[in-house]
Amino acid sequence: MIISLIKKTILIILVSYLDYKISYGLSKIYVILPLTFLAYSFFLYKSDSNIGPFESFATGMFVDLLTNSYFGHNAILFCFASYLINTYSNTFKLFSYFQICIFFGASATAYVGFSQIILNLYNFSYLTLFLSGIFNTIFCIFIAILSVYFTSIPGRKI
Amino acid sequence: MARNTPTPGQKIIYFIFIALGISILYIDINSKIFSNVKNNFQSYKITSSFVIKNISVNSLKEFIEMMSSKQKLLNENTLLRKKLDESYLKNFLITKENSFFTDHTEVVKAIKDDFVIESFHFAKLKQIDPNIFNCCDRHRIYIEILDKNKENFKEAAVFNLNGIIGQVVGNGSQNEVILLTDVKSSIPIKNSRGDFFCNAMGSGRANHISCTYNQLVWIDEHEIGDSYYSSGLGGIYPKNIKLGELSSIEIIDSSNTKLEIKLVSSPLDTNLFGVIKI
Repeated sequence: MIISLIKKTILIILVSYLDYKISYGLSKIYVILPLTFLAYSFFLYKSDSNIGPFESFATGMFVDLLTNSYFGHNAILFCFASYLINTYSNTFKLFSYFQICIFFGASATAYVGFSQIILNLYNFSYLTLFLSGIFNTIFCIFIAILSVYFTSIPGRKI
Repeated sequence: MARNTPTPGQKIIYFIFIALGISILYIDINSKIFSNVKNNFQSYKITSSFVIKNISVNSLKEFIEMMSSKQKLLNENTLLRKKLDESYLKNFLITKENSFFTDHTEVVKAIKDDFVIESFHFAKLKQIDPNIFNCCDRHRIYIEILDKNKENFKEAAVFNLNGIIGQVVGNGSQNEVILLTDVKSSIPIKNSRGDFFCNAMGSGRANHISCTYNQLVWIDEHEIGDSYYSSGLGGIYPKNIKLGELSSIEIIDSSNTKLEIKLVSSPLDTNLFGVIKI
């Protein structure tokens, strides 16, 4: 239990750091890639059991603390993602990889839009939202392709 | 394995947490109630990243820098040594004027004639077998002449810091040099007074050449320790450069005497040579 918690914490810190590092480069092409959110969504999707609202909320608060954003920003979105994925966890099995990728891409775009409304309301950019939506969907498809064609690595297959 | 979808009770909990999140977000946006927590965490984050960086990355960086600076110093040292050798070679006539020439005025003449600068190249030692050099008749080395164009270096004189060591006999990417001590080598020499001339042959022994003359033709006033110089009569070696000192006199028969001269220069002295073509 404790080891699992430490693992999750370290992973969150690493992904958050990676997110921070790539965000500057991507912002030059009007793209926001919410890597932490996508990673957590993927974790929720891959999990064998349901992740409760408290854990999602706590994780979101921790990410807020790490990224120095407003408290509650990631907490709400992580909680909402957890709710959606838990609700449709069985329905996803009927979906193709492509549909799942579109779902994750759309949820990442929603995250970007919501974040823009909270953090950057006066400079809200539809261009950023639109490009981020396309980029995030392509990114998810790319990850899915990787997992399909490189299944040799344990746990990669989605 | 199938996962249970949230029950209505769980949905209410989700709703409560989302509502809590929205409340916290609203409070955080409109007040500075969480600023202390955030500031403390940020300072902790900066401090820990600084400490971790200092311990891991900086130590590694310092170690690499230390190693590279050591290598840099070694390279610089090698380069400086090479430059110094080159400088010695370039100025060998001047630096050795007392021991190289029969008198001081020769160096002035040599510089005025400018023969050294006109046809001067550096060369690096590529191959020498010291065992053969110390035992056998065939004394050859291979050098690589630097900055050479398509010039033919055959019969060019080769010298090092101490004096002449031989002449180039082969062209190619590496030039073969026949040393003065090779039994097939020959160099016209003269004594310091300029009243005795002879063709000195290689003796096949390291650092020794010998010259056989007819005492009926030439004066016979030689003493051990006398200096001998190149006479320049062969047109290959520059004249008046000190070759060595008389080490032994052997009377072969009633008409022939053999002088053995110990050379002042050895090919084993340095790895850098000068090549002069006159």
